[in-house]
Amino acid sequence: MPILKNIAAIAKGMSITLKEMFAPTVVENYPDGPGPLKGAKFQERFRGVHVLQRDENGLEKCVACFLCAAACPSNCIYIEAAENTAENRISGAERYAKVYNIDYNRCIFCGYCVEACPTDAITHGHGFELATFNASNLVYRKEQLLAPMPAHLGANAVFNKAEIDKGMPALTS
Amino acid sequence: MADAPKLVNLTVDGKAITAPAGTLLIDACKNAGIEIPSFCYYPGLSVQGACRMCLVKIEKMPKLQTSCTTVVGEGMVVTTENDEIHQARKSMLELVLANHPLDCPVCDAGGQCELQDMTFTYGAAESKFVDIKNHRDEQQWSPVVYFDRPRCILCYRCVRVCGEGMDVWALGIQQRGVSSVIAPNMEDHLECEECGMCIDICPVGALTSGAYRYKTRPWEMNHVATVCTHCGDGCVTTLGVRRSDTGMEIMRGDNRDKSGINGDFLCIKGRYAFDFSKEPERITVPLIRRNSKLEPATWEAAFELIASKLKEVRDRDGGQAIGVIGSNRTTNEENYLLQKFARLVLATNNIDHHRTADYPGFVSALAGTQNMTASMRDVASAPAILLIGNDPTEQHPLLAWQIRNNVRLNKARLYTVNSNQIKLRRQSTVFHLISAGSEGAFAQFLVGNDSAASSVGDPQALNSLRDKLRGEQGLVIAFGSEIRGEHIKPLVQFAQSVGAKLICLGDYANSRGAADMGLYPDLLPGYYPVSQLTGSKDEDWMGKAPKQPGLTLQEMFSAAAGGRLRALYVVGSNPVARYNLDPFALKNTFTVVQDMFLTETATLADVVLPAANAYEKGGTFTNTCGDLQRLQKAGDVTTVKSDFEIIVRIANAMGYDVHGLVPFAPGLRADMGQTRGAESGEADRHKVWLTRQGIEPKLSPFDPLALLDEIQRLVPGYEVSRLNLMAGNDQHTQVPDIGSGELPSHPELIVPSEDTLFTSGTLGRYSKTLNSVMENDRAVPEDAGIPAD
Repeated sequence: MPILKNIAAIAKGMSITLKEMFAPTVVENYPDGPGPLKGAKFQERFRGVHVLQRDENGLEKCVACFLCAAACPSNCIYIEAAENTAENRISGAERYAKVYNIDYNRCIFCGYCVEACPTDAITHGHGFELATFNASNLVYRKEQLLAPMPAHLGANAVFNKAEIDKGMPALTS
Repeated sequence: MADAPKLVNLTVDGKAITAPAGTLLIDACKNAGIEIPSFCYYPGLSVQGACRMCLVKIEKMPKLQTSCTTVVGEGMVVTTENDEIHQARKSMLELVLANHPLDCPVCDAGGQCELQDMTFTYGAAESKFVDIKNHRDEQQWSPVVYFDRPRCILCYRCVRVCGEGMDVWALGIQQRGVSSVIAPNMEDHLECEECGMCIDICPVGALTSGAYRYKTRPWEMNHVATVCTHCGDGCVTTLGVRRSDTGMEIMRGDNRDKSGINGDFLCIKGRYAFDFSKEPERITVPLIRRNSKLEPATWEAAFELIASKLKEVRDRDGGQAIGVIGSNRTTNEENYLLQKFARLVLATNNIDHHRTADYPGFVSALAGTQNMTASMRDVASAPAILLIGNDPTEQHPLLAWQIRNNVRLNKARLYTVNSNQIKLRRQSTVFHLISAGSEGAFAQFLVGNDSAASSVGDPQALNSLRDKLRGEQGLVIAFGSEIRGEHIKPLVQFAQSVGAKLICLGDYANSRGAADMGLYPDLLPGYYPVSQLTGSKDEDWMGKAPKQPGLTLQEMFSAAAGGRLRALYVVGSNPVARYNLDPFALKNTFTVVQDMFLTETATLADVVLPAANAYEKGGTFTNTCGDLQRLQKAGDVTTVKSDFEIIVRIANAMGYDVHGLVPFAPGLRADMGQTRGAESGEADRHKVWLTRQGIEPKLSPFDPLALLDEIQRLVPGYEVSRLNLMAGNDQHTQVPDIGSGELPSHPELIVPSEDTLFTSGTLGRYSKTLNSVMENDRAVPEDAGIPAD
């Protein structure tokens, strides 16, 4: 009875469909989800847009040793170093990165820079919304990559607002 | 000559090697291709025996021995690498690292640190020490020298190179044993020649350079070995360059490439004084005078204006109404091109440059005798040296270094005759102080004119000096511009009588090249007098040059004042300031200046063209001894052009066929069928020559090497090995054989630059490092005057 066989097959298929209707959803509701992440979920080790970390005093951890640039297989990191002075102390060591650019046109998110960093200054954040209409926007400057000031130093809001007022894109993480 | 030392046979790592008796084991091994690590040992410096890294096992000796203090012995059996030695070296490193801060990411030596390399090799990365490291703050000893005490591993290389090598003795050791500290001579700072040798020789980052401080890292740069653009010695300086938004920026200078004639040596100028190239006052766009003000313009407008004016003057008043002044700091190719441009395109012999030595007089006195000039390398090995006049420590630092080390290492005898108590008297076997201006009389005295002695000094001392000099084999005589004109001839006669070689000291990087390439109103390249051109040269372009000798530099200015000179073309020179000439002389003269800065002459110009400096172009330089070396392009500023390109473009704008100036290749764009090869009847001399040399013609009219071909073909003495030249080796050129004729030389026109260690003409004025050192160390000499080139 071929016709019965067909009906049985359809019923079996529809039962799976029916079962799935009541199962919990596994699809991420991005970008319509709640919160700043808009529903996106990340593994802890996801390699997104880099974050340049600060130490507990709010000073930059980066000492401009250029090891990340040396490790970078796509040659997307550009650094200019300068010396800290007593009046203008940027990093914890003798020198700091005056310019720190990452060209996201070229970056392949391999994480070698993070591994190379002797001061744990560069890390991968979770930012991933990099799309832009203008490729030159993809060269991120140090100001865009830096972690916000630690909250206990009370500069967080001001720091970000000043940057945003200057017309820079908001921090992604 | 002593007998050749006895050879000793020994076995190292199972390999039988031979070395002259007295060789240090570490050297013998190195020559046999076996490397032994060391910190304190440095070739050419005294033995220290401080670091114990060079420990080796020598059979029949109870403990490991330091190979840097052990002399090779007959039948010695040496092991340079086994577990015991490895462990010993690793332990030494652990001790060295006990107080060495691990700040490699910040340290300027990171990436080129011998301690890093050793730690990688021996794996001493873990420390057994738990105590807190003894920190001391970094000290600034001078504008260019920083000292970080905890990083110091006490190898004493700096102390030895400063004392033995430089004879400055500015660094010393305080305290003893583990508390030893390297200390500067003035308690908390240095007063020295600021040569930076201590920084270069430091195996770690204890001594670092103030000029390169925290700028970048070694692996971020390209390293270009080129010839220093300051004094006439021709040191090879390695410039580290990095891409910047205006081209390629020079980040630092050092002597990584030790293959140059300078070996380990560089003075402050070669090491730090490249910073004039990024001076904000540098001109980067052409300037044209409009409404009596110099205003920025385009290159096209500038070339058009220059070409139309020069053509107008040439066609209306003739070539003699145009003057050309060349430079001591442009390359041989540019100098050659400039005089060719003047003689062919502008149809004038009015070409001159700032003369700092009497090279025509020198060539004339040699009268074609070959192999009578010494190279800079000869100075380092000559058994005896006679130095007349000049102060090499200030004006020829490399010459002074060669002399010092020759005296120290080879026990060479130095005879110094000077009117000042120059520093090299300390190395002199005989130092004879003479009255100022009597150097020429001394030369007369040398050839037996005893009556000349009375004006020089004590006749008895002079006689004994002359006797000693007469007994010297293989003497090298270096003389400053004090000896010029008719005084050169007796000196050459004396040199011939004792088989000595000569060096005529000129002041700027390519003063010799400017002379050899014919930047003279009366001499063509190779010192051919314009008036008596003969032979095959006549068939080349030289035959088309005007036969009437032109005006000298001073004559040009008086002609301009008299209204007879209608146009003046100045390349990289500042004659107004140097010769103290009347600036108003140029008020009716159309003046074109190409330079890096608005010098006294450039401010008077109608058109100022921004030129590249010697670090920003290729070509060749001839040093004061006549050693030809290749320049390589290191830095780059995108908006300026090399003097070579500017001259070619002006010629082109004047409607001259550029092929007549620069023999570049027939090609798609270059050849419209006019050139005939050797195979088609009339011979193209240049092409025949190229084919015979196995050289491909150059494709671009802006490639200086295209002109180097012609220089090698037409300038006698420059027929050196191309392969060696291109490989970066120095090649000694011979003085051309001009026969016994007298060359027109104008000794009265010679004005020495009077540069010191810390000044370097116009370039020195715009070098921040040189100026900062001067302010720090010693006042600018009052009679320094205004520099010219």
